[in-house]
Amino acid sequence: MSSQTQKILTTDGTPLEVSLKKAERKNKIKAFLLVAPLLFFLLITYIFPIGDMLLRSVDDKMVTEMLPKTFKSMEKWDGKELPPEEVFESFYLDFSKLVDEKREGKLSTQLNYTKNGFKSIIKKLRRKSKNFEEGNYKDQIMAVHKRWADVEYWKAIKRRAPPITYQKYLKGIDMYQNESGNIVSVSEDRRIHRILWLRTLEVAFFVTLLCFLMAYPIAHLLATLPMKYSNLLMICVLLPFWTSLLVRTASWMILLQQQGIVNDFFVFTGLVADDARPEMMYNKTGTYVAMTQILLPFMVLPLYSVMKTISPSLMRAGKSLGGTPFIAFWKIYFPLTIPGIGAGCLLVFILAIGYYITPALVGGASGTLISNQIAFHMKSTLDWSFASAMGLMLLTGVLAIYWVYNKLVGIDNIKLG
Amino acid sequence: MRKLSKLLLVLSFALSISSSAFAVTAVSWGGAYTESQKLGYGDPTAKKLGIEINWVDYSGGLSEIKAQKEAGKITWDIIDVFAMDTINGCDEGLFVEFDFDKDFPPAPDGTPASKDFFAPMPSKCAVGNILYSWNYAYNTNNVKGTPKTIKDFFNTKKFPGKRAIYKGALTNLEIALAADGIKPGKGGAKIYKALETEKGVDRAMNKIKELCTDPNGGCVFWSAGAQPPELLVSGEVVMATGWNGRFFNAEVGEGAPIKQVWDGQGLDYEYFVLVKGGPNEADAKKALAMMTSTEMLAGSAKYIAYAPWRKSSLKIMEAGEPWYKDGKTNMVPQMPTAKSNTKNYFLVDPIFWADNGTELGEKWEAMKAGL
Repeated sequence: MSSQTQKILTTDGTPLEVSLKKAERKNKIKAFLLVAPLLFFLLITYIFPIGDMLLRSVDDKMVTEMLPKTFKSMEKWDGKELPPEEVFESFYLDFSKLVDEKREGKLSTQLNYTKNGFKSIIKKLRRKSKNFEEGNYKDQIMAVHKRWADVEYWKAIKRRAPPITYQKYLKGIDMYQNESGNIVSVSEDRRIHRILWLRTLEVAFFVTLLCFLMAYPIAHLLATLPMKYSNLLMICVLLPFWTSLLVRTASWMILLQQQGIVNDFFVFTGLVADDARPEMMYNKTGTYVAMTQILLPFMVLPLYSVMKTISPSLMRAGKSLGGTPFIAFWKIYFPLTIPGIGAGCLLVFILAIGYYITPALVGGASGTLISNQIAFHMKSTLDWSFASAMGLMLLTGVLAIYWVYNKLVGIDNIKLG
Repeated sequence: MRKLSKLLLVLSFALSISSSAFAVTAVSWGGAYTESQKLGYGDPTAKKLGIEINWVDYSGGLSEIKAQKEAGKITWDIIDVFAMDTINGCDEGLFVEFDFDKDFPPAPDGTPASKDFFAPMPSKCAVGNILYSWNYAYNTNNVKGTPKTIKDFFNTKKFPGKRAIYKGALTNLEIALAADGIKPGKGGAKIYKALETEKGVDRAMNKIKELCTDPNGGCVFWSAGAQPPELLVSGEVVMATGWNGRFFNAEVGEGAPIKQVWDGQGLDYEYFVLVKGGPNEADAKKALAMMTSTEMLAGSAKYIAYAPWRKSSLKIMEAGEPWYKDGKTNMVPQMPTAKSNTKNYFLVDPIFWADNGTELGEKWEAMKAGL
């Protein structure tokens, strides 16, 4: 009785608490409906594909289902010497079934990812297996091609047994799990991915550094010049955006190659001898120059937007309090621009880490980065699971950098404009 | 006014539906190459059969068609692909398998299609379209003397200066072995036999490494087909491997001071494939059969220096010289398959590369990283 009377009622008799909650819920639903399209869009274009990538990179059901008998009989095999007749027989049975279903091509593609050389011997086996006699499959299969008598190839098949695998991730850092379960490196002349990862990081780091060093003065100039000059300068910064990436890359090639315009100018002015023209293209220098120019606006714009908000009176105050121009800059101006630096560096670094067309064209022997490798497996070998694994490793790397940045500078400090 | 615009809208919608429902979509690499296909046999076939053929550009690889299939919405009918892609795509079940002699018409003299084509198809899904060459060319202004053989490409003592080679391992390993003294044998069989062994691969890699680290030599790696002639003309390199059609265009089309060398050339191929479950499979099959007939294939060589796959097409060209569109250039000597150009050559082996491409690619990159 008493609790009833204590409740405050609205004019239509419902308790205030309830009606407030109702109104709040309504608002919440409205707000949700407003962002729902965006959420939906993100789900379809971002979260779902990344989830799909994750699944693809570990899913290895296909081979497990293709060779059920083989894998079952392989359980007892120690993986040191050639497997016993039993394994060969069940492999033959699985294989004949695949041939009937016309799926042996898919098997050859999959096994070729694990070890090169499977494509042709499976094709050969298909041709020959039609005339196989019953019994003694081991000798018959081994007679098809010498690789079928090579234990390495059988080990490679065994490695594909588990339906879920992280082999692709190991492959991304030039390692694999051998039959005794140890994780070991691949042979030395094939360790390419580690080199590529390091090279990608190196290129992205130096491009970011160069961009920062060049963009800082430009952005400062933009923010401090009178409007009529700064507008013109701004157009100069934005102009490259209107030109295709390939055109810009190609123009750098014309400028910087050994017989190019810049070198011609050097020779003309007598700076260098005609037979000692420096190489500025088809090596890392070329990559740095072209990528820095292409990514420069992404550093200038966030810096500019931050610098624009810094009042010039702060520097004057610093100087009037006795600081030299450098101390005033270092103690007052620079710390205020850190949010812009953070945003610019993060933006440029993340863009640079995924670049591949420009380095491939101007980078010469060092022009292959990890993204080229991803594109190669996407387009040529169709090993999408390996491409996914490397893509996710790249994404994880970027997230890690983001995390480090957050710890060091704080992500709330970022300012994009 | 409003009614009119509505009517137009409906009309254009109907047109777009009808054109996409009845046209055959052929996908190729774009540029001068697609132009030669369209003018050479695409348009004549379309006219004869009364089918519309739309040409669409792509940048190679099977990722798009695989994605289309996985999404359940295939929009392409015919694709122009590399040999390796016909093998991989056929294995993946993306393309239609042909019954070759039944699906494709015989030569005018009655030779069945499978005998008329230059080499056997690499997979059941492929039909040959053009053969092109990985040969090399030099800048006549910057080279003293005349390089004649593939050995000369690696001879930096006699012909000093930088070389441009392809960025990948494909064909580089082959020419390295050919220059190192291995006789290619019939169609290059001996080279590929050597490359099956680790020793052969090392030998080829070392030859390239030697060339690239030689102070008199040095390498520029090219990735786009337009680069080799450009690198030669600008004087950046003295010799470059490349695709013969590009060299031909620079030499004959633009009058650049470059000359091609055919010794040790690698013959490579382009194929058409028919997409399984494409939007217009039946018409596409008819169009494909006609486009790859003797007369039609010869047509494309009017516009570009790539050789038609059928041997019988060369006879038509010979009878019609000068065959090039400018009306004064003889095309048969420019064909990679011409007798004078095939004294010492190898056929790029797609099955070898489908087998070993990834592993050799990794070794190649590791070698390049150590340069």
